[in-house]
Amino acid sequence: MILLYFFLSLFSYAETVATDEKVVGVFYMTPLFGHVHQSPIRTSASLTTIQCAHPLKVIESSKVSVSAEWAYVQVADYKGFILRSYLSERKPKCIQGTYPKFFDALNLDLSELYYWGRLYDHYVESETRVH
Amino acid sequence: MIIMSRVKLAFISLLSFGIFLAHAQTEKLQDEKELEVVNFNSIKKVLQKDGLSQAALEKKEQVAILKEEQNALEKERFNYPTEDELWGLASEFWLIKNAQILGWDFEKPDYGLDKSFRETLENLGFYQKKFRILMVNTPTVVHASLPGSDGTSIFLLSVPFIRSLDLTKLEISLLLFEDFLRLEQGYFKKSVSSEKMKTLAGTNFYGQKVDMSFMEEMLKSYSTQINQKGFSFQQQFETTKKMDSYLKARPELWNVYYRLLGKINSFIKTNVQYKDYVKLYPSPEMQLKWIGPEEKTL
Repeated sequence: MILLYFFLSLFSYAETVATDEKVVGVFYMTPLFGHVHQSPIRTSASLTTIQCAHPLKVIESSKVSVSAEWAYVQVADYKGFILRSYLSERKPKCIQGTYPKFFDALNLDLSELYYWGRLYDHYVESETRVH
Repeated sequence: MIIMSRVKLAFISLLSFGIFLAHAQTEKLQDEKELEVVNFNSIKKVLQKDGLSQAALEKKEQVAILKEEQNALEKERFNYPTEDELWGLASEFWLIKNAQILGWDFEKPDYGLDKSFRETLENLGFYQKKFRILMVNTPTVVHASLPGSDGTSIFLLSVPFIRSLDLTKLEISLLLFEDFLRLEQGYFKKSVSSEKMKTLAGTNFYGQKVDMSFMEEMLKSYSTQINQKGFSFQQQFETTKKMDSYLKARPELWNVYYRLLGKINSFIKTNVQYKDYVKLYPSPEMQLKWIGPEEKTL
Protein backbone atom coordinates (compact mmCIF):
# COMPACT_ATOMS: atom_id res chain seq x y z
CA MET A 1 0.00 0.00 0.00
CA ILE A 2 2.81 2.36 0.98
CA LEU A 3 4.68 1.39 -2.16
CA LEU A 4 1.61 2.12 -4.30
CA TYR A 5 1.20 5.53 -2.65
CA PHE A 6 4.89 6.26 -3.28
CA PHE A 7 4.59 5.44 -6.99
CA LEU A 8 1.39 7.47 -7.34
CA SER A 9 2.97 10.55 -5.77
CA LEU A 10 6.05 10.11 -7.98
CA PHE A 11 3.88 10.08 -11.11
CA SER A 12 1.93 13.15 -10.04
CA TYR A 13 5.22 14.99 -9.34
CA ALA A 14 6.55 14.10 -12.76
CA GLU A 15 3.34 15.38 -14.31
CA THR A 16 3.65 18.70 -12.46
CA VAL A 17 7.23 19.17 -13.65
CA ALA A 18 6.34 18.32 -17.22
CA THR A 19 3.31 20.57 -17.47
CA ASP A 20 4.76 23.48 -15.52
CA GLU A 21 6.73 24.84 -18.46
CA LYS A 22 4.69 26.19 -21.33
CA VAL A 23 6.01 27.13 -24.75
CA VAL A 24 4.68 30.62 -25.49
CA GLY A 25 5.84 30.61 -29.08
CA VAL A 26 8.70 30.28 -31.49
CA PHE A 27 10.67 33.47 -32.10
CA TYR A 28 13.68 34.30 -34.23
CA MET A 29 17.00 35.87 -33.34
CA THR A 30 17.45 39.31 -34.94
CA PRO A 31 21.05 40.49 -34.30
CA LEU A 32 23.91 39.04 -36.31
CA PHE A 33 25.00 36.88 -33.36
CA GLY A 34 23.91 36.53 -29.77
CA HIS A 35 24.18 34.47 -26.62
CA VAL A 36 21.74 32.47 -24.59
CA HIS A 37 22.71 33.49 -21.07
CA GLN A 38 22.88 31.47 -17.90
CA SER A 39 21.08 34.25 -15.99
CA PRO A 40 19.14 37.36 -17.05
CA ILE A 41 22.17 39.66 -16.86
CA ARG A 42 23.95 40.99 -19.94
CA THR A 43 27.39 39.94 -18.71
CA SER A 44 26.38 36.51 -17.42
CA ALA A 45 28.00 33.37 -18.85
CA SER A 46 27.01 32.18 -22.28
CA LEU A 47 25.33 28.80 -22.65
CA THR A 48 25.47 28.83 -26.43
CA THR A 49 26.02 31.25 -29.31
CA ILE A 50 23.30 31.55 -31.91
CA GLN A 51 23.10 33.51 -35.12
CA CYS A 52 20.52 35.68 -36.83
CA ALA A 53 17.24 33.92 -37.80
CA HIS A 54 17.87 31.02 -35.42
CA PRO A 55 14.51 29.84 -33.94
CA LEU A 56 14.08 29.91 -30.17
CA LYS A 57 11.23 28.59 -28.05
CA VAL A 58 10.08 31.17 -25.51
CA ILE A 59 9.03 29.40 -22.33
CA GLU A 60 6.87 30.43 -19.41
CA SER A 61 7.51 28.71 -16.15
CA SER A 62 6.26 29.31 -12.63
CA LYS A 63 9.73 28.45 -11.39
CA VAL A 64 11.49 31.10 -13.46
CA SER A 65 10.62 34.76 -13.14
CA VAL A 66 12.23 37.30 -15.44
CA SER A 67 11.88 41.04 -15.97
CA ALA A 68 10.08 42.36 -19.04
CA GLU A 69 13.46 43.00 -20.67
CA TRP A 70 14.38 39.31 -20.73
CA ALA A 71 12.87 36.12 -22.13
CA TYR A 72 13.35 32.58 -20.85
CA VAL A 73 14.14 30.49 -23.90
CA GLN A 74 15.08 27.03 -25.08
CA VAL A 75 17.55 26.37 -27.88
CA ALA A 76 18.31 22.71 -28.55
CA ASP A 77 19.05 21.31 -25.06
CA TYR A 78 19.91 24.68 -23.54
CA LYS A 79 17.49 26.68 -21.46
CA GLY A 80 18.55 30.22 -20.66
CA PHE A 81 17.89 33.91 -21.07
CA ILE A 82 17.99 36.34 -23.95
CA LEU A 83 17.04 40.00 -24.34
CA ARG A 84 13.47 40.30 -25.63
CA SER A 85 14.47 43.12 -27.97
CA TYR A 86 16.54 40.57 -29.91
CA LEU A 87 13.53 38.38 -30.69
CA SER A 88 11.15 38.65 -33.59
CA GLU A 89 7.97 36.77 -34.40
CA ARG A 90 8.88 36.77 -38.07
CA LYS A 91 12.02 35.35 -39.61
CA PRO A 92 14.32 38.35 -40.11
CA LYS A 93 16.43 39.15 -43.15
CA CYS A 94 20.00 38.55 -42.06
CA ILE A 95 23.26 39.56 -43.68
CA GLN A 96 24.63 36.01 -43.44
CA GLY A 97 21.51 34.74 -45.19
CA THR A 98 21.47 37.41 -47.87
CA TYR A 99 25.19 37.22 -48.66
CA PRO A 100 26.15 33.68 -47.59
CA LYS A 101 29.20 33.29 -49.81
CA PHE A 102 30.67 36.65 -48.79
CA PHE A 103 29.95 35.99 -45.13
CA ASP A 104 31.63 32.56 -45.31
CA ALA A 105 34.70 34.25 -46.78
CA LEU A 106 35.10 36.29 -43.57
CA ASN A 107 36.27 33.00 -42.02
CA LEU A 108 35.12 33.85 -38.52
CA ASP A 109 36.73 31.70 -35.86
CA LEU A 110 35.03 30.59 -32.64
CA SER A 111 36.37 33.45 -30.55
CA GLU A 112 35.16 35.99 -33.13
CA LEU A 113 31.70 34.41 -33.12
CA TYR A 114 31.71 34.61 -29.34
CA TYR A 115 32.76 38.28 -29.30
CA TRP A 116 30.27 39.23 -32.00
CA GLY A 117 27.50 37.86 -29.78
CA ARG A 118 28.93 39.68 -26.76
CA LEU A 119 29.09 42.95 -28.69
CA TYR A 120 25.31 43.09 -28.89
CA ASP A 121 25.08 42.45 -25.15
CA HIS A 122 27.30 45.46 -24.47
CA TYR A 123 25.76 47.98 -26.82
CA VAL A 124 23.75 50.75 -25.19
CA GLU A 125 21.32 51.57 -27.97
CA SER A 126 18.44 53.86 -28.66
CA GLU A 127 16.75 55.92 -31.36
CA THR A 128 15.48 59.47 -31.34
CA ARG A 129 11.76 59.87 -31.86
CA VAL A 130 10.04 60.73 -35.11
CA HIS A 131 9.56 64.47 -35.47
CA MET B 1 1.05 -44.95 -98.90
CA ILE B 2 4.01 -42.83 -99.89
CA ILE B 3 1.74 -40.53 -101.84
CA MET B 4 -0.55 -40.18 -98.80
CA SER B 5 2.31 -39.22 -96.51
CA ARG B 6 3.63 -36.62 -99.03
CA VAL B 7 0.18 -35.06 -99.25
CA LYS B 8 0.04 -34.92 -95.41
CA LEU B 9 3.45 -33.25 -95.24
CA ALA B 10 2.47 -30.73 -97.88
CA PHE B 11 -0.74 -29.98 -96.00
CA ILE B 12 1.12 -29.51 -92.69
CA SER B 13 3.69 -27.23 -94.36
CA LEU B 14 0.94 -25.20 -95.94
CA LEU B 15 -0.88 -24.93 -92.62
CA SER B 16 2.30 -23.88 -90.75
CA PHE B 17 3.04 -21.25 -93.39
CA GLY B 18 -0.52 -20.03 -93.11
CA ILE B 19 -0.30 -19.74 -89.30
CA PHE B 20 3.08 -17.96 -89.55
CA LEU B 21 1.69 -15.56 -92.11
CA ALA B 22 -1.37 -14.83 -90.01
CA HIS B 23 0.79 -14.31 -86.89
CA ALA B 24 3.15 -11.98 -88.75
CA GLN B 25 0.21 -10.00 -90.01
CA THR B 26 -1.21 -9.59 -86.43
CA GLU B 27 2.19 -8.44 -85.07
CA LYS B 28 2.50 -5.80 -87.79
CA LEU B 29 -0.91 -4.53 -86.98
CA GLN B 30 0.06 -4.27 -83.29
CA ASP B 31 3.20 -2.27 -84.19
CA GLU B 32 1.17 -0.01 -86.32
CA LYS B 33 -1.24 0.56 -83.43
CA GLU B 34 1.66 1.38 -81.15
CA LEU B 35 3.10 3.68 -83.74
CA GLU B 36 -0.19 5.43 -83.99
CA VAL B 37 -0.18 5.99 -80.24
CA VAL B 38 3.30 7.47 -80.16
CA ASN B 39 2.91 9.33 -83.35
CA PHE B 40 2.09 12.86 -82.13
CA ASN B 41 0.83 13.87 -85.56
CA SER B 42 -1.99 11.39 -85.40
CA ILE B 43 -3.24 12.77 -82.06
CA LYS B 44 -2.20 16.34 -82.65
CA LYS B 45 -5.66 17.36 -83.59
CA VAL B 46 -7.10 15.73 -80.46
CA LEU B 47 -4.53 17.44 -78.25
CA GLN B 48 -5.14 20.77 -79.89
CA LYS B 49 -8.85 20.31 -79.50
CA ASP B 50 -8.44 19.56 -75.77
CA GLY B 51 -5.97 22.45 -75.32
CA LEU B 52 -3.37 19.96 -74.12
CA SER B 53 -0.64 21.07 -76.49
CA GLN B 54 -1.09 24.64 -75.17
CA ALA B 55 -0.88 23.35 -71.60
CA ALA B 56 2.32 21.45 -72.47
CA LEU B 57 3.81 24.62 -73.95
CA GLU B 58 2.85 26.66 -70.91
CA LYS B 59 4.34 24.01 -68.64
CA LYS B 60 7.56 24.11 -70.64
CA GLU B 61 7.69 27.89 -70.33
CA GLN B 62 6.95 27.70 -66.60
CA VAL B 63 9.79 25.23 -66.08
CA ALA B 64 12.13 27.52 -68.02
CA ILE B 65 11.10 30.52 -65.89
CA LEU B 66 11.52 28.52 -62.67
CA LYS B 67 14.93 27.35 -63.80
CA GLU B 68 15.94 30.91 -64.61
CA GLU B 69 14.72 32.12 -61.21
CA GLN B 70 16.59 29.32 -59.50
CA ASN B 71 19.77 30.29 -61.34
CA ALA B 72 19.26 33.94 -60.43
CA LEU B 73 18.79 32.98 -56.76
CA GLU B 74 21.92 30.87 -56.84
CA LYS B 75 23.83 33.77 -58.39
CA GLU B 76 22.48 36.17 -55.74
CA ARG B 77 24.21 34.08 -53.09
CA PHE B 78 27.46 35.37 -54.55
CA ASN B 79 26.64 39.08 -54.11
CA TYR B 80 28.85 41.52 -52.22
CA PRO B 81 26.87 43.49 -49.63
CA THR B 82 25.90 47.06 -50.49
CA GLU B 83 28.16 49.93 -49.43
CA ASP B 84 25.94 50.81 -46.47
CA GLU B 85 25.91 47.19 -45.28
CA LEU B 86 29.67 46.92 -45.74
CA TRP B 87 30.28 49.93 -43.48
CA GLY B 88 28.24 48.40 -40.68
CA LEU B 89 29.89 45.03 -41.12
CA ALA B 90 33.42 46.50 -41.26
CA SER B 91 32.84 48.63 -38.13
CA GLU B 92 31.61 45.66 -36.12
CA PHE B 93 34.29 43.35 -37.53
CA TRP B 94 36.93 45.89 -36.42
CA LEU B 95 35.39 45.95 -32.93
CA ILE B 96 35.50 42.13 -32.81
CA LYS B 97 39.09 41.96 -34.06
CA ASN B 98 40.13 44.54 -31.43
CA ALA B 99 37.97 43.25 -28.58
CA GLN B 100 40.93 42.48 -26.32
CA ILE B 101 42.74 45.77 -27.02
CA LEU B 102 39.63 47.86 -26.50
CA GLY B 103 38.51 45.76 -23.55
CA TRP B 104 34.81 46.35 -24.08
CA ASP B 105 33.73 42.95 -22.73
CA PHE B 106 33.57 43.99 -19.08
CA GLU B 107 30.96 44.69 -16.44
CA LYS B 108 30.08 48.35 -15.99
CA PRO B 109 27.31 50.35 -14.39
CA ASP B 110 24.42 51.72 -16.37
CA TYR B 111 25.35 55.34 -17.01
CA GLY B 112 21.94 56.12 -18.47
CA LEU B 113 23.56 57.45 -21.63
CA ASP B 114 20.90 56.06 -23.95
CA LYS B 115 18.31 58.39 -22.45
CA SER B 116 20.63 61.34 -21.93
CA PHE B 117 22.14 61.29 -25.44
CA ARG B 118 18.76 60.66 -27.06
CA GLU B 119 17.34 63.71 -25.29
CA THR B 120 20.34 65.83 -26.31
CA LEU B 121 19.90 64.87 -29.95
CA GLU B 122 16.17 65.53 -29.83
CA ASN B 123 16.72 68.91 -28.11
CA LEU B 124 19.03 69.87 -30.93
CA GLY B 125 16.54 68.78 -33.57
CA PHE B 126 17.95 65.42 -34.67
CA TYR B 127 15.09 62.97 -35.14
CA GLN B 128 14.93 59.31 -36.22
CA LYS B 129 18.60 58.83 -35.48
CA LYS B 130 19.69 55.38 -34.36
CA PHE B 131 22.80 55.06 -32.20
CA ARG B 132 24.79 52.48 -30.31
CA ILE B 133 27.27 53.31 -27.56
CA LEU B 134 30.03 50.90 -26.61
CA MET B 135 31.93 51.63 -23.42
CA VAL B 136 35.57 50.61 -23.66
CA ASN B 137 37.89 49.87 -20.79
CA THR B 138 41.02 51.53 -22.14
CA PRO B 139 42.56 55.01 -22.10
CA THR B 140 44.03 54.53 -25.61
CA VAL B 141 40.76 55.03 -27.48
CA VAL B 142 39.16 57.96 -25.69
CA HIS B 143 36.12 58.54 -27.88
CA ALA B 144 35.29 57.82 -31.51
CA SER B 145 32.37 57.33 -33.85
CA LEU B 146 32.05 54.62 -36.49
CA PRO B 147 29.52 54.25 -39.28
CA GLY B 148 26.93 51.51 -38.84
CA SER B 149 24.40 50.09 -41.30
CA ASP B 150 21.01 51.61 -41.93
CA GLY B 151 21.97 55.08 -40.66
CA THR B 152 23.11 53.86 -37.24
CA SER B 153 26.02 55.60 -35.55
CA ILE B 154 28.34 53.57 -33.32
CA PHE B 155 30.11 55.49 -30.54
CA LEU B 156 33.10 54.35 -28.53
CA LEU B 157 33.66 55.92 -25.15
CA SER B 158 36.46 55.27 -22.69
CA VAL B 159 35.28 54.56 -19.15
CA PRO B 160 38.70 55.44 -17.58
CA PHE B 161 38.55 58.80 -19.41
CA ILE B 162 35.05 59.80 -18.29
CA ARG B 163 35.82 58.61 -14.76
CA SER B 164 39.10 60.52 -14.55
CA LEU B 165 37.43 63.69 -15.76
CA ASP B 166 34.35 63.02 -13.68
CA LEU B 167 32.13 63.99 -16.59
CA THR B 168 28.41 64.50 -16.14
CA LYS B 169 25.83 62.79 -18.38
CA LEU B 170 25.27 66.04 -20.22
CA GLU B 171 28.99 66.58 -20.78
CA ILE B 172 29.32 63.03 -22.11
CA SER B 173 26.32 63.59 -24.38
CA LEU B 174 27.93 66.72 -25.84
CA LEU B 175 31.19 64.86 -26.38
CA LEU B 176 29.19 62.20 -28.24
CA PHE B 177 27.36 64.90 -30.17
CA GLU B 178 30.69 66.28 -31.36
CA ASP B 179 31.56 62.77 -32.64
CA PHE B 180 28.12 62.52 -34.19
CA LEU B 181 28.77 65.70 -36.20
CA ARG B 182 32.14 64.36 -37.37
CA LEU B 183 30.42 61.23 -38.61
CA GLU B 184 27.66 63.24 -40.30
CA GLN B 185 30.32 65.30 -42.04
CA GLY B 186 31.69 62.03 -43.48
CA TYR B 187 35.28 62.57 -42.27
CA PHE B 188 35.67 58.98 -41.12
CA LYS B 189 34.32 57.39 -44.30
CA LYS B 190 36.45 59.70 -46.44
CA SER B 191 39.57 58.69 -44.57
CA VAL B 192 38.91 54.94 -44.38
CA SER B 193 37.10 54.18 -47.63
CA SER B 194 38.90 52.36 -50.45
CA GLU B 195 38.25 52.52 -54.17
CA LYS B 196 38.08 48.74 -54.34
CA MET B 197 35.33 48.66 -51.74
CA LYS B 198 33.30 51.21 -53.69
CA THR B 199 33.76 49.26 -56.93
CA LEU B 200 32.88 45.86 -55.48
CA ALA B 201 29.99 46.88 -53.20
CA GLY B 202 26.71 45.46 -54.45
CA THR B 203 28.30 43.54 -57.32
CA ASN B 204 28.36 39.81 -57.96
CA PHE B 205 31.30 37.36 -57.93
CA TYR B 206 29.56 34.28 -59.32
CA GLY B 207 32.13 32.10 -61.10
CA GLN B 208 34.99 34.13 -59.62
CA LYS B 209 37.01 34.04 -56.44
CA VAL B 210 35.69 36.33 -53.73
CA ASP B 211 38.00 39.33 -53.17
CA MET B 212 38.31 40.07 -49.46
CA SER B 213 41.45 42.19 -49.73
CA PHE B 214 39.40 45.38 -49.44
CA MET B 215 38.07 44.27 -46.03
CA GLU B 216 41.63 43.78 -44.77
CA GLU B 217 42.57 47.20 -46.14
CA MET B 218 39.56 48.78 -44.44
CA LEU B 219 40.33 47.18 -41.09
CA LYS B 220 43.89 48.50 -41.25
CA SER B 221 42.61 51.96 -42.15
CA TYR B 222 40.16 51.82 -39.23
CA SER B 223 43.05 51.20 -36.82
CA THR B 224 45.17 53.95 -38.37
CA GLN B 225 42.33 56.46 -38.30
CA ILE B 226 41.27 55.69 -34.73
CA ASN B 227 44.69 55.23 -33.12
CA GLN B 228 47.08 57.42 -35.11
CA LYS B 229 45.67 59.69 -37.77
CA GLY B 230 42.66 61.29 -36.16
CA PHE B 231 41.26 64.53 -37.58
CA SER B 232 42.89 67.51 -39.25
CA PHE B 233 42.88 71.08 -37.93
CA GLN B 234 40.49 72.03 -40.70
CA GLN B 235 38.08 69.23 -39.80
CA GLN B 236 38.30 70.14 -36.12
CA PHE B 237 37.67 73.78 -36.91
CA GLU B 238 34.59 72.91 -38.96
CA THR B 239 33.27 70.58 -36.24
CA THR B 240 33.84 73.12 -33.47
CA LYS B 241 32.16 75.89 -35.45
CA LYS B 242 29.19 73.59 -36.10
CA MET B 243 28.95 72.78 -32.40
CA ASP B 244 29.05 76.51 -31.70
CA SER B 245 26.20 77.25 -34.10
CA TYR B 246 24.02 74.35 -32.86
CA LEU B 247 24.55 75.22 -29.20
CA LYS B 248 24.37 78.99 -29.41
CA ALA B 249 20.58 78.90 -29.37
CA ARG B 250 20.81 77.05 -26.05
CA PRO B 251 23.21 78.95 -23.84
CA GLU B 252 22.99 76.39 -21.03
CA LEU B 253 24.31 73.69 -23.41
CA TRP B 254 26.88 76.03 -24.93
CA ASN B 255 28.28 76.78 -21.45
CA VAL B 256 28.51 73.07 -20.65
CA TYR B 257 30.36 72.44 -23.92
CA TYR B 258 32.77 75.30 -23.30
CA ARG B 259 33.43 74.05 -19.79
CA LEU B 260 33.95 70.51 -21.15
CA LEU B 261 36.60 71.69 -23.61
CA GLY B 262 38.36 73.50 -20.77
CA LYS B 263 38.25 70.37 -18.61
CA ILE B 264 39.71 68.19 -21.39
CA ASN B 265 42.37 70.80 -22.21
CA SER B 266 43.75 70.99 -18.69
CA PHE B 267 43.38 67.21 -18.14
CA ILE B 268 45.38 66.10 -21.18
CA LYS B 269 48.12 68.59 -20.41
CA THR B 270 48.71 67.09 -17.02
CA ASN B 271 48.08 63.40 -17.77
CA VAL B 272 50.75 61.49 -19.71
CA GLN B 273 48.34 58.66 -20.54
CA TYR B 274 46.43 61.03 -22.81
CA LYS B 275 49.37 62.79 -24.44
CA ASP B 276 48.30 61.58 -27.90
CA TYR B 277 44.83 63.05 -27.60
CA VAL B 278 45.84 66.32 -29.28
CA LYS B 279 47.22 64.40 -32.28
CA LEU B 280 43.81 62.81 -32.84
CA TYR B 281 41.65 65.80 -31.93
CA PRO B 282 43.66 68.99 -32.43
CA SER B 283 43.24 70.64 -30.09
CA PRO B 284 40.98 71.52 -27.15
CA GLU B 285 43.06 74.66 -26.61
CA MET B 286 42.43 75.78 -30.18
CA GLN B 287 38.76 74.81 -29.95
CA LEU B 288 38.38 77.09 -26.94
CA LYS B 289 39.93 79.95 -28.91
CA TRP B 290 37.76 79.29 -31.97
CA ILE B 291 34.50 79.60 -30.08
CA GLY B 292 35.52 81.64 -27.06
CA PRO B 293 34.70 85.33 -26.71
CA GLU B 294 37.31 87.53 -28.31
CA GLU B 295 39.70 89.17 -25.89
CA LYS B 296 39.68 92.89 -26.30
CA THR B 297 42.92 94.73 -25.72
CA LEU B 298 42.52 98.00 -23.94
